[in-house]
Amino acid sequence: MPKYMFVYRGGHEDMEHSSPEQMQQVMQMWMDWIQGGVEAGWMVDGGDALKPGGAIVNSDLSITDGPFAESKELVGGYSMVEAPDLAAAIEIAKGSPMPKSGGTVEVRELPNLGKQE
Amino acid sequence: MKPATNQLVEHFFRHESANLVAVLTRAFGIRRINLVEDMVQVAMLEAMHAWKQRGVPENPAAWIHRVAKNRILDYLRREKTYEKAITLSGQSIDEQESIVDQWLEEEQLPDSLLRMIFVCCHPSLERKTQIALTLKTLCGFGISEIARGLLLPNETVKKRIQRAKNSLAESNVRIELPSADQLTQRLDVVHDVLYLMFNEGYSTSHGTEPIRDDICEEAARLCYLLCESPFSAPTTKALLALLLFHAARFDARTDEAGTIILLEDQDRSKWDHRLICAAQSWLAKSKSDQPTTFHLEAAIAMQHCIAPSVEETNWDTIVILYSRLLQLRESPIYTLNRAIAVGQAGHTREAMAQLQSLQNHEEMKHYLLLDCALARMYELDGNTAKAIDSYLIALPKAVAPHEKEVLEKKLRKLTE
Repeated sequence: MPKYMFVYRGGHEDMEHSSPEQMQQVMQMWMDWIQGGVEAGWMVDGGDALKPGGAIVNSDLSITDGPFAESKELVGGYSMVEAPDLAAAIEIAKGSPMPKSGGTVEVRELPNLGKQE
Repeated sequence: MKPATNQLVEHFFRHESANLVAVLTRAFGIRRINLVEDMVQVAMLEAMHAWKQRGVPENPAAWIHRVAKNRILDYLRREKTYEKAITLSGQSIDEQESIVDQWLEEEQLPDSLLRMIFVCCHPSLERKTQIALTLKTLCGFGISEIARGLLLPNETVKKRIQRAKNSLAESNVRIELPSADQLTQRLDVVHDVLYLMFNEGYSTSHGTEPIRDDICEEAARLCYLLCESPFSAPTTKALLALLLFHAARFDARTDEAGTIILLEDQDRSKWDHRLICAAQSWLAKSKSDQPTTFHLEAAIAMQHCIAPSVEETNWDTIVILYSRLLQLRESPIYTLNRAIAVGQAGHTREAMAQLQSLQNHEEMKHYLLLDCALARMYELDGNTAKAIDSYLIALPKAVAPHEKEVLEKKLRKLTE
């Protein structure tokens, strides 16, 4: 079955002023969603979050410091899912906590390396 | 890092943030409380992001403590104010850090929390401010949660808390426990704050926001913390008993739609008997030669909790307890409740006379429950027409929608 990478951008912009309880609720929503996917079989890897800092190594080997983009365009994390086709993967992405947090999910298929289906 | 679990204990973030604010403010001083809160908030956000996909680490509390401590130390080093900032003078930075680590250990946490309780309930602050500050600092509530719970605008809560912090910082209040000669006095303030905080959450005129249950739970949690400490007095234990007796009846107070169910209609099997037992045991431990209003109110609450029904309630005892309360403190509310008990004990005419004399009381003129009590007495007396009249008088005094609902339901029942 094809694998898709979910690339999460933005969301959580307003979390700075959230109460601890709200943070815990958002976190629980993610955990429940990932856990549900693992149990149903479509979540291959819950993936990880990316911290906002970092750097870019350019082609001339110069270094650009982060942050690289407006926070709503910043890649904040990724997961790996398995779905029969793009449409099915999109449905899964719709069910993720990301849209509810005001962020986006980019759904990208991984190439199938040499295996015939 | 292998995720140990996907579940955190309930209110983990809320309580950890309160623990951290207490310990770090103790270490860095009241003047730095805003910085401490900001850094704790940063640590909480970091934890949320780091855990939401990978799961919770094996010791989540230690993880958050480490991050929060490092954030604040990083900040202070950057500002080059580290040496001046820390209140633990005369020790090397390493020693100071290890002291903070010790304070954060589970068995030492209550000490910092207790100090913070006395700071938030500092006698120099107004009662309302003490409540808001306690909810923010010791319970880890956000501004908007406090605002929703206390029915206040966000801005008011924000200003109130900031004013309190400024005033504590200006007088450079130390994060310490009261001295022996001041303890009783300071403890009384804390008792009052916890009692009022619980009432804010419990009061039926405020609607049914879930946050209100949390406020009650927090008041009881802090009271328990105090009871388990060497500073507790018999009054503290009586207060905890009182809060637990009330809390035991939480789930029976509203139906699925959130409508208030009156005591007489409550399903008593829904009362939490575990809590009632705990409350009874605290009340037994609270024995004192000088019973306070908390002792007497707890004893009254217990009479309700152990009665199988309204009719089988020991109303005579309740009347006596209210009389003793009135000896301790004149209050039209106590008089009102005493009159209801008198009526329930079978002396409805006597009760009506007492209630009617209360109607001239300035404070009680707009008091919804007085008309309701009178209506109830007419009902008990079999005078339905008069009961309906009284409920109709009460109706326009109802402010919250659910109060109106309860009255309208009553009226429908009577006119059937």
